[in-house]
Amino acid sequence: MIARTFRAPSVAARAMLHLPLLGIGLLCAAAPLTKAHAEDGGPRSGGELTFGVTTEPVCFNPQRSEQQNSFILIRNFVDSLIAKNADGRFLPWLATEWTVSPDGKTYDFKLRKDVTFHDGERLDAEAVKFNLDFVKDPANTNSAGQLLQFYEKSEVVSPTEIRITLTKPDSALLESLASIRLGILSPKALKSGDRLCSGGPALAGSGPFLFQSYTRGQSISLVRNERYGWAPGYAAHQGPAYLDKATIRFLPEYSVRAGALSSGQVDVIEGVQPTDIALFKDQPGFQLLVGPSGAQTSFTLNINYTIPPATDVRVRQALRDGADIDGLVNAVYLGAVRRAWSNIAPDNPFYNRALEGSWGNDVAKANALLDEAGWTGRDSEGFRTKDGQRLSIEVGYPQPFVRDNRDVLIQGVQAQLRKNLGFDLKLRLITGGEWAQQKANGSWTIYPNTYLPADAAQELQGNIGEKGFIQAVADKGDKELFSLINQALSATDVEAKKQFVDAAQKRAVDLAFIVPLFSANYQLAAKDNVRGLSFEAQLDSPASLHDVWLAEQ
Amino acid sequence: MTDTLRPLAGFGGSEGPAVRLRAFSNLLPRARLTILAATAFIVALVIMAAAPHLFTHYDPLAGDMLAALKAPSADHLFGTDRLGRDVFARTLHGARYSLSIGLGSAAISVVFGVLLGLLAGLRSRLLDEAICRLFDVISSFPGVLLALLVVTFLGAGMENIAIAVGIAGVPKFGRVVRAQTRLVRDADYVTHAAIYGQSRFGIFARHLLPNVLTAVPVVATVYVGTTILAVSGLSFLGLGPQPPTPEWGVMLAESRDVLRVAWWPGVFPGAAITLTVISFTALGNALQRRFERRVP
Amino acid sequence: MIFGPLGRRILSRLGTSLVVAWGSVTAAFLALHALPGRIEDILAGDLDYPGLREAIAAEWGLGRSLPEQYLDFVARIASGDFGVSYVLRQPVAQIVGSQILPTVQLATTAGALALALAVLAATLTAGRGGAARSVASTIELTCASAPVFWIGILLLMAFSFSLRWFPVSGAGGWKALVLPSAALALPTAGLLAQVLREAMEKTLEQPFIVTVRARGLGEGLIRLRHVLRHAALPAVTLGGWLIGGLLGGAVITEKVFGRPGLGTVTLNAVLTHDVPVVLAVVLLAAFIHVAASTLLDIVYVVIDPRLKAQ
Repeated sequence: MIARTFRAPSVAARAMLHLPLLGIGLLCAAAPLTKAHAEDGGPRSGGELTFGVTTEPVCFNPQRSEQQNSFILIRNFVDSLIAKNADGRFLPWLATEWTVSPDGKTYDFKLRKDVTFHDGERLDAEAVKFNLDFVKDPANTNSAGQLLQFYEKSEVVSPTEIRITLTKPDSALLESLASIRLGILSPKALKSGDRLCSGGPALAGSGPFLFQSYTRGQSISLVRNERYGWAPGYAAHQGPAYLDKATIRFLPEYSVRAGALSSGQVDVIEGVQPTDIALFKDQPGFQLLVGPSGAQTSFTLNINYTIPPATDVRVRQALRDGADIDGLVNAVYLGAVRRAWSNIAPDNPFYNRALEGSWGNDVAKANALLDEAGWTGRDSEGFRTKDGQRLSIEVGYPQPFVRDNRDVLIQGVQAQLRKNLGFDLKLRLITGGEWAQQKANGSWTIYPNTYLPADAAQELQGNIGEKGFIQAVADKGDKELFSLINQALSATDVEAKKQFVDAAQKRAVDLAFIVPLFSANYQLAAKDNVRGLSFEAQLDSPASLHDVWLAEQ
Repeated sequence: MTDTLRPLAGFGGSEGPAVRLRAFSNLLPRARLTILAATAFIVALVIMAAAPHLFTHYDPLAGDMLAALKAPSADHLFGTDRLGRDVFARTLHGARYSLSIGLGSAAISVVFGVLLGLLAGLRSRLLDEAICRLFDVISSFPGVLLALLVVTFLGAGMENIAIAVGIAGVPKFGRVVRAQTRLVRDADYVTHAAIYGQSRFGIFARHLLPNVLTAVPVVATVYVGTTILAVSGLSFLGLGPQPPTPEWGVMLAESRDVLRVAWWPGVFPGAAITLTVISFTALGNALQRRFERRVP
Repeated sequence: MIFGPLGRRILSRLGTSLVVAWGSVTAAFLALHALPGRIEDILAGDLDYPGLREAIAAEWGLGRSLPEQYLDFVARIASGDFGVSYVLRQPVAQIVGSQILPTVQLATTAGALALALAVLAATLTAGRGGAARSVASTIELTCASAPVFWIGILLLMAFSFSLRWFPVSGAGGWKALVLPSAALALPTAGLLAQVLREAMEKTLEQPFIVTVRARGLGEGLIRLRHVLRHAALPAVTLGGWLIGGLLGGAVITEKVFGRPGLGTVTLNAVLTHDVPVVLAVVLLAAFIHVAASTLLDIVYVVIDPRLKAQ
């Protein structure tokens, strides 16, 4: 069998040559971010670190968790088969090299020989096969099963070689294998039943830290994995982590996290309120690090265009252009995030840069569109009407997903649309159950979201494709958009895939199926002596603490 | 039976109308002045709630994002919030929402509490037992859990929050009315009325009802304040009235993230809540004293 | 008889407690199943692949009829099995069990603190008039009408972030308990102090106090030994309130301070339709409610022997 070998530079890397990343992305994720201090004399081992985070994970099992914020914790004890670099290339991790057959349906991986799980089990081809089969089996109800939809089977070629066969080409497979959601766990742990959600030593991965204990509602503690010698290709160093121990504390309140850091009770925090940035940025004793926006989708209003009045493209375009999104994003986030032009994030190689400046903030045109569409009446509160009906669409925002001032931003859009157009954009916080019901019967109207990190084509499919939020009423959906996304998913050639993904983004924005608002990123604030903090390109979120060390104070 | 002595599970942990009520009866030696002040404040609130636009030309919902978090000034008496909305306008307009939730939920508690309490107090033992157990079931739910269930069931809107808090309050009124009913029912003058041949309905209408219902406005007045506090707790948990409603509890909850840089978006609605709670409580207390004087 | 009137009252209380617990759990069960959204849809979230929903339904037995699920549930509870959380995927008994201690710790500390503050404020200022009494009253009233989360954040800013006396929470021994307890205690202390003072002032007007004074007892001793005891009844009623509303206040305190406890578990369970966890918490709350009111009855009798006769 003739096969292309994907050692660096991979196909993805060649694609990158055509798509220079935004400076900020490279700056943020390629190299360790902490200030260079030559006088420190380089990394040193030892010490303990306390990390204050926003979210207590519902579940610590990477194959089951659906919370982006849970991965910040999980990455410390779970490794993946391959690693994704900030420039989009895939690098070795538990697998040292891999080849893909010309038809894109067979992948061969060579595994490291020296890897052991935290429970002492060895990592071999059998263990990897067990993991993939386990995730694929719907009976195990793992959320990561979604990433293996075209997975047919794995074969153990030798203890260190595994062959994965697909039912059809999947341009997203390497991205999926680099994802923490397909992180490799000890088969013994997986077989022990589904109590892995509660973490602790039972959740045996192969990562740089052991999951020592979990105090629900308060913290988890991690201790160094002394045997660790298989860091991902992008890591700054090989060998065990520098820190002896790490404690991750759950501090859901913004002001409490910031106060805990400024008073020295924690060393690092994640999730910095925009108004608190000034407390840490360029302040003596502190540092502020901003992560990339490439892996998740941008925060976007997804419009259900099968329900009136959103069936009228003019109404959707007016909604899209009636507010000054730049101004609003700046006012809410004080420059900490970028305004979005597409739902694919700007640091993603598949971002359609041509959309920048192509839409938005045109109140006169938005008003003209609404006049033309017949929304010419006005009611007592000043809202536009047509045949006695108020021009009104509801944003149903599931309460469990509200964070990051996103509801404040929507309120800003709401206020401007009301003032500029007489457009009644209602915001209603709904329950997870109500959203599930609305999605199941296709009755949702506007759904604001960011999507879990995944391959760009897969993100489009999960959001605006025929398998997306509109799935229940997909027969009334936009067939051309669906077709572009399906073609992108099965493209074996990166350039072709890029074209389809670009076209799909353009169509979605032009016809205002979506109104992208801002590109979320992670912010870390830390004490000055914490070095080696970085972000993981595949996730956008803070990387594991493997490279982190503490300088003398 | 010792129902009246049972702990009445408080909403949010601590406020009990009956207790609060007594708390204030000694608080104010210059009681008349206080009652005057409380009444004046409540009247002002009602005027604010009825016609907030008389006092401000700012829109409580739409703000100028470029003028966000401005400190109080002649332009913006109470400053502006994160979205550049005028805090003074929002506090004024908020009176309508906070009062209507407070009064609405108190009304729900009163109507159902009085009905069930009368039934329990007047009718058969079996019915009494059943209603008392129902009160037990309701009050055994921690307030927040009950509100959560109602709000997740009906959705988080103004009316639904009033319903949630209202249901939690039913046993409070129910128990008070039940105890009063029993007292009156067994009182000598009612027995006499029966001896003199008055019809059941006549006795009920002429003697029982007025006596029983005297106690209710007292508890209800105090309960309005409790409700406003409860709503702010729900807002903190993200289950309050929907944004951009300028309800005080919502405003207070929203302001906590910017507390470090701006005190004004929180302090003014906070002061409004505190003054309202105190005013209603003081008024309820005054009512009670009048009631006590009449029925020694 | 083996049991006195008090014993019989307790026995009948226990009987009704079963009825109350059954009622609460049934109400919660019905409410949870009437909530919008199928449980398998909620558990699947935004994700979907062929077979996922069916597998989830099969995993938790959601395909069965509602009466079947209900009977199964009641039977399991009766045998002491609370099942496994849909969302957290751990035995419910383990989840709830691990959270009881932190909540009880918080509540008892807060209760003791509230009592201490209230007794102090009331004893020092009752019947004395003047500035101290007005100041104390104003502080008490403000505390009693301020939301718990607000008090918590202000306490943190002052005593943890600026003065650095106490940690936010976490590993700090007794120190980590100070601020959360204070946040939970202050509103209660405010109310309790008002009630106590009123009761004490009424007692101070009683004739027997004149007698006691005539015996030449010091004012401090009079207040502590005689007046406080007579004023205890309304305070005990309020104590019942504290227990009843414990979970409610705890949710907010736990969230502000990042503390473990039943409140957060309950909140999340309701929001995610985690039926087994909600039902376990409801059951626990019902029993706490009944136990607290029984205990209260006993305390009343101990404090005021006249009640024994009734």
